[in-house]
This record gives sequence, C-alpha cells and structure tokens, in this order.
Amino acid sequence: MDKHYCICIGRKFCSGGRNIASMVAERLDVKVYDRDLLKMASRNTGFSEQFFEEADEEKTRKGLRSLFMSRFNSSNGFANNYLSNESLFNMQSDAIRKIHESEDCVFIGRCADYVLRESDRLLNVFIAADMDDRVDRVCRHAEEGMTPSKALSLIEDVDRKRSSYYNYFTGRTWGDPAFYDICLNSSVFGYEKCADMIVSLAKERLGI
Amino acid sequence: MAELKTPQELGTDRIGKLLIRYAVPAMIAMLASSLYNIVDRAFIGHGVGSMALSGLAVTFPLMNLSAALGSMVGVGSGTMISLKLGQKDHESAQMLLGNSVTLNILIGVIFGALSLIFINPILTLFGATDVTIGYAREYMVIILAGNAFTHLYLGINCILRAAGHPNKAMIATIGTVLLNTFLDYLFIMVFHWGIKGAAIATVISQVLAFTWQCFQLSDKSELIHLRRGTYRLRGDLVRNMLTIGLSPCLMNAAACFVVLLINRGLLKYGSDVAIGAYSIINSIGFMIVMMVMGFNQAMQPIAGYNYGARQFSRVLRVLYLTMFFGTCVTTLGFVIAEFMPDLCIRIFTNDPELTAIARNGMKINFIVFPLIGSQMVIGNFFQSIGMPGKSILMSLSRQVLLLIPFLIILPRFYGINGIWYSLPASDILSVVLGFSLLIPQVRKLKKLS
Repeated sequence: MDKHYCICIGRKFCSGGRNIASMVAERLDVKVYDRDLLKMASRNTGFSEQFFEEADEEKTRKGLRSLFMSRFNSSNGFANNYLSNESLFNMQSDAIRKIHESEDCVFIGRCADYVLRESDRLLNVFIAADMDDRVDRVCRHAEEGMTPSKALSLIEDVDRKRSSYYNYFTGRTWGDPAFYDICLNSSVFGYEKCADMIVSLAKERLGI
Repeated sequence: MAELKTPQELGTDRIGKLLIRYAVPAMIAMLASSLYNIVDRAFIGHGVGSMALSGLAVTFPLMNLSAALGSMVGVGSGTMISLKLGQKDHESAQMLLGNSVTLNILIGVIFGALSLIFINPILTLFGATDVTIGYAREYMVIILAGNAFTHLYLGINCILRAAGHPNKAMIATIGTVLLNTFLDYLFIMVFHWGIKGAAIATVISQVLAFTWQCFQLSDKSELIHLRRGTYRLRGDLVRNMLTIGLSPCLMNAAACFVVLLINRGLLKYGSDVAIGAYSIINSIGFMIVMMVMGFNQAMQPIAGYNYGARQFSRVLRVLYLTMFFGTCVTTLGFVIAEFMPDLCIRIFTNDPELTAIARNGMKINFIVFPLIGSQMVIGNFFQSIGMPGKSILMSLSRQVLLLIPFLIILPRFYGINGIWYSLPASDILSVVLGFSLLIPQVRKLKKLS
C-alpha cells in the first residue's frame, strides 16, 4: 500500500467542486492542491510559474490558433522543447507524484487522477451540478453586468477547455462516470452532504 | 526522449559546448535526408539526361505533398507517444503506435491511388510538357505505388525518435540513403533502366528500411512494440494526432504550392530545361538550409530551457552563437555558388545548355545567402521561447507570403530572370521582417536579465 492517500476531485465549472474539496480537506485535516501545483512545479524545475499558467487547463487555445495547439512542433526528435505543453504537463505531473509521496492530500483537477492512476490509495470524484444552479452561481459571484446568457456561454467555454485539456493529456473522457469512483450532483445533495459522503467513502476505502 | 528530464547542464554548461554537442547528431540526420535528393538527381542527370532531370523536377510538388501528409501522422504520433511514455502509460503508447501504422497505410494508399488516377492532369498542372511528362509519369507511377511504404517508413522513424531510439532512426535514415545510392548506380548505370530505375531504387530502399524498423519494433521487451489489437483506429487518438500534425503539414503544403508556382513560371518564361536547372539549385540550397536547421534544432532545447529558467543572458548568448554559425554556413553556400558554381552543377549534369541556365540562376539565387542564416535562426528562436505565431510568420514570409507576389510581378518585367530575382528579393524582405521582430524582443530580454 502507498504510504499516503489522495482524493482527486474533478469538477464542472461552478459546480461547487472547490468548496466541497476544501470541506473534505478540512475534515480530514489535509491540504488541498489546486493552482499551488503550478507553483510547486515551477519550484521543482526552476522554471518560471508564468509558463505553467499559460499552459494550464483553462488556457487551451481555440479557433484558428488551436491548429497550432501544441505550441511547438515539439517532438521533432532531435531536440526536446522544454516549453512545449507536453513537457510542462510532464513537469507538473512530477510535482503531483512528489506531493503524493510526501503527504495525504486533495487534488483539484490537473489530471491528478490519471497521473496517480497506479496508486492503490486513491479516490476519484467528479462533481457536477444542474445548469440553473451553476448559472446562478456565476451571476452571484461575477461583477456587475453578468447576464444569465453570458454566464451560460462562460460555463460552456470553461467546461470545453477543461474537457479538451483532460482528454488530450489522459486519453480518457472528462466527466465520464467510467473513469471515476463516485460522481455527485451538488444541486441534489448540497455541498455539506457531498463532502460528508466523500469523507466517509474515503475513510472506508483508503484506510484512513 | 521518453523520459523527460530537465538536465541541469542546459542551465550551467558552456553554451558553445552545448550547442555543438546537440548540433552534430541533428546535422548528420539533416544532411542525410538532403543527400538523398542530390543522389537521385545526380544519377538521373548523368545517367538518363537533362530532360529526365526536368521530368523528375515536376514531380517534386507531388512528392512534397505526400511527405507533408506523412509528416502530419509522424509528428502527431511522435508527440503523443513521447507524452504517454513520459507518463509511463505504455498501454496508450502502444495503441498510438498501432493506430499510426493503420493511419499511415490508409492515407498512403488513398493519396497514392488518387494521384495515380489523376496523374496526367496533376503533372501538367505542376509544369510537365510533352517532352517531360513521359519521364515524370514513368517515375511517379512507381513511387505512388509504393506510397504507403514511404509514409510508414517516415512515420515509424518519427516514432523511433520519440520512443527514445534516435540512433535507430538515424541508422534507418542513413541506411536508406546508402542503399538508394547503391541501387541507383546498379539500376541506372549498369542495368540502364532509366528514370524508372531511380524510382525502383527509392521504393526498394524504403521497403527494406521499413522491414528493418518492424523488426526493431517487434521485440517484446521494448517499451512499445507492434502488437495485435492495436491497429483498429480510435477516433480520439486519430483526432489528437492529426491536430498536432496539422501545422507542420500545412507548412509543407504551402512550400509545395510555391514550387508549383516556380515550376510553372520557369516553363512560361523559359523552358523545360529551366525547371531542371531550378531543381539543381534547389538541391544545393536545400542542403545549406538543412545544415542551418541542424543548428536550429540544437538551439531549441538550450534556448527553451534557459528562457523557462529565466536565465535571459544565456538565452541571448545561444541566440547570437547560433546566428553566427548559421551565417557561417550560408556564407559558405554563397561563396561556393558565386565563385565556383560549375563545381556544384557538374554533380548533376554535363549538358552545356542546362549548365548555363543553372549557373545564371544559382548566382542570382544565392546572392543574399549570407543574410539568410540569421533569418532562419530568428524564426526558430521564436518557436523555442514559446512564440509560435511569430515563428510561423517568419517561415511563411520567406517561402510563401513575400515570395508569391514577387513571383507574379517580377517575371512580367524581367522574364525568366524575374523568377530568379524573386527568391533573393523575398529573402531580403524577410530578413528585414525578422530583425524588426527580433530587436524589440532582444531589448526586452536585456532589460529582464
């Protein structure tokens, strides 16, 4: 058995995934890794954090620029391009593995479920929510001038980016129940109850 | 390459030492692939004749197009496989290998069949005339029949490199060149099979290289090997491979369109012989360009790593050094072309008419070559520091965007010389463009360092 456990939480945009993740982490008294991963990766490699941010899951290019999606024709074979999306992803994966080796934790997104797929102390969770609730949430949290229709297109856009990032790097299908241990709808259960369920399942399964 | 490390040496070792060490293998591979062209053309020029050389030249856009499609699958699968190997996801890497084989066969056969059906109109479009089309067709029919093998051979070579066997890939490349040279000699000089002999030699050497590759990849102890059950195409894998490979494919296709324009221009304002002359000039130019590309490939990891690590003074140093080496190489090309053009031309032909046209074209074409070295380095530099937009603009500008208007306008005033003038004219403009993009960038880097 691995020394440390980890809970990987994938989430649709504005489905409360991050809130639920922090509740889970608080109850289990472990750390949540989200964007901090980028900082970790940059510290490990000596690369500036900015590059990891640019290649991050919500920055996928669209339209014409997606033609040149891998920002470089990186793998021409003679030379490695250290700034290609692929190599940045690999460095980020190293950071994920390193954290998993040293502590119990909760990962949000960044394909951690795929990177750690060999681990035997892993719980994969996906959080979704009803579209109405997500739109509401965007409108409540956004600045003035956010209309429901704008919110809807923002949600679709972010979901599309997360999904193409995840599918590209993992070869799995983002949000497909086949790749998760539990999928929860936060509109049905509420954040508290979702967190409760994840914690109790984690205790049962991961031997905490 | 399978294991992606961030070697500290890139951030600490002497730049000059690093550059040379990375450049030597890249240059050998680049030279080998440009030698292939030269050898084929040399045997055909001497063994068959000037018209056969022109016939061969009109097939080049078609060959390039086929290579562009092959590189689409090759680059795409190579990138994906090295990503998967980096994640120790051998199962997916295996699937990618199988899928890329199927995809190569599919694209190779379809492209080959379509081109065979429309062979006459295609060759005429590319500048074939009554005199040359016979040679072009004789050559192309055999090449197209073996098209799937060409794609397989090139595709698997990309994968061998991505899977951490750059040496095996190099052996395949060099082996193909040597074998092709030997068979060219045998078929053309000894058996007198004519231009057909060159095509047969090409196909045989690629089939043998592919067989050798399969042998290498069927070793079960290898991380990835050919295996049953991986050949059925999977939509998501195919889509990813093609998306990644699309941009290099489009660049190659654009270059092929330009060769088409040049061939037709030469035919309109000159003759069949001029097309052959251009193919001689092109072979020599290509070899010089390939040597610069070797340095470029060596620069990429060094510049990329140090840019990522915010060691901007090292980034600038590797840029300057590569520009210096690039300029040395292109200046060498300039000296040879301007002062001893006949030396190069004699490799391909003894025909006095062809020699005269090629000599004239060569002197014009290479006149600004010393400047070109830095232009090519600048384009690649942008790519290695994460600005692919500028990099693509740079390489399209010289070979496509700036060249096409010149190719259309200049011949109206200067006839055939107008076509020769177009090449250096667009070279000069693209050098200006390159430096105007580079100078602000260098200022920014200097401020940061």
